[in-house]
Amino acid sequence: MVEAFAHAAGSIARHVPGGAVGFKGVLLHIHVAPAASFEMEELAEAQCVAGRGIVGDRYYEGSGTYSPKPDTREVTLIEQEALDALARNDPPLQAGPIALAPGDHRRNLTVRGVPLNHLVGRRFRVGDVILRGGRLNFPCKYLEELLGLPVYLPLYNRSGLNCGIERGGVIRPGDAIELLDDDGA
Amino acid sequence: MTARVVMKLRVEAARLATPGVLHLTLVHASRPELPAWEPGAHVDLRLPDGRIRQYSLCGDPQDRRTYQIAIKREDAGRGASRWAHDALVEGAVAHVSAPRNNFPIREAARHVFVLGGIGVTPGLPMARSLAAEGADVAVHFCARSAADAPLLAELSAACGDRLSTWFSAEGRRFDPRAIGPYSEGACLYVCGPQRLLDAVRDAADALGWPETSIRAEAFQATLDENFKPEPFEAKLASTGATLHVPADRSLLEVLRDHGVTMPSSCELGVCGSCVCGYRDGVVIHRDAVISVADRQDRIAPCVSRARVSVTLDL
Ligand code: FES
Repeated sequence: MVEAFAHAAGSIARHVPGGAVGFKGVLLHIHVAPAASFEMEELAEAQCVAGRGIVGDRYYEGSGTYSPKPDTREVTLIEQEALDALARNDPPLQAGPIALAPGDHRRNLTVRGVPLNHLVGRRFRVGDVILRGGRLNFPCKYLEELLGLPVYLPLYNRSGLNCGIERGGVIRPGDAIELLDDDGA
Repeated sequence: MTARVVMKLRVEAARLATPGVLHLTLVHASRPELPAWEPGAHVDLRLPDGRIRQYSLCGDPQDRRTYQIAIKREDAGRGASRWAHDALVEGAVAHVSAPRNNFPIREAARHVFVLGGIGVTPGLPMARSLAAEGADVAVHFCARSAADAPLLAELSAACGDRLSTWFSAEGRRFDPRAIGPYSEGACLYVCGPQRLLDAVRDAADALGWPETSIRAEAFQATLDENFKPEPFEAKLASTGATLHVPADRSLLEVLRDHGVTMPSSCELGVCGSCVCGYRDGVVIHRDAVISVADRQDRIAPCVSRARVSVTLDL
């Protein structure tokens, strides 16, 4: 695992100013999976540990699917807006709408009103927890196989964000999500 | 080979179908519906130590709320079935994969089943659905006695007079010639112990059944009994790490010990889940899934090994 702002993507984006400021989003769901390919389980609150991940999750336990490249994925996020788009088949890249049950997308946090694609190299808070955007998530064929649903193409470019945890703590659905003043850039 | 999601199921009912066979009814811990399946499908049961065992679904595919499996206690086995018999009591949690079907019903003019003992599990839903469609079906069920024949009542209810039972302790030992001569478009399904499979194959051959008309349910790969595993080194191409694989452990287990979690399912070299690439090394292929052409750069780490050393594309 590499530190989010040390990741090849995050370290570059960190020094390029961005424009998505002033948003106010909300945390909708928290999901963890005890191991790779295990079904995700929804949590009413979750303990985030800086530098590790969410307690009980596969990445925290170090039992996720093995990736040979140095990666950052202590916490993964996805936009509810992207899931809504899939559910109305927009854009129509596959035979019809794809309804993903909660957690089937296999990301930890489902959020609304958060421009995840703009948060690479940025610090933001979820409740009291501070996350660092490390790299954009990329849809994988593994997920497609696991679900038996053609989600690869429609998730392209909106598959979410992989983050590191700068400051740990407890998060709960309903927590506010906001960009933080960048002190370290 | 597809990855399949592992679900947390709850044991809703556990009963002994025979003195040695545990029949389980499983429901999802939080969802009302389970993934759909076709007759002949199996699920993977995950043991607490990471091992995986496959069990055919023996319930009704129309029932989307429950899965049913039957597990024979094998006291001589490596402990998986003993664990299941002891731990999977009512209310217990079982980690089970979504179903996969390696043994589907084929398009055929006539379907003949030979089921031995616990081999009834895939055969029951297959025969039931064929009988319900009014297909031409004959089922032979072999066991020591009626009391030792799991799911006999269900099979008999599904098949009626299409079912012939063969109970050796009651003086009716199965005669494989009972399958009758081959007729155009017929399909023969055999599920049970290897002895039964061999006997039925021999009889089928003599009765003119072409090889292609026979489907046998064998999760057991054809491993060479005289094979003596030896230790070797496995190198990971990405990190350069070298792992030592002792003679008594599989490459897959050693990878797992070092945090390299790969998909796996049968762990017998038949499903292809764990297959990955390799370079530089003499591999001793012991799987039954990788084609000869692919063997020069693909390996099934659950059963295959290497001479001295191998570099894996991981
Ligand atoms: S796990 Fe099935 S082939 Fe290796």
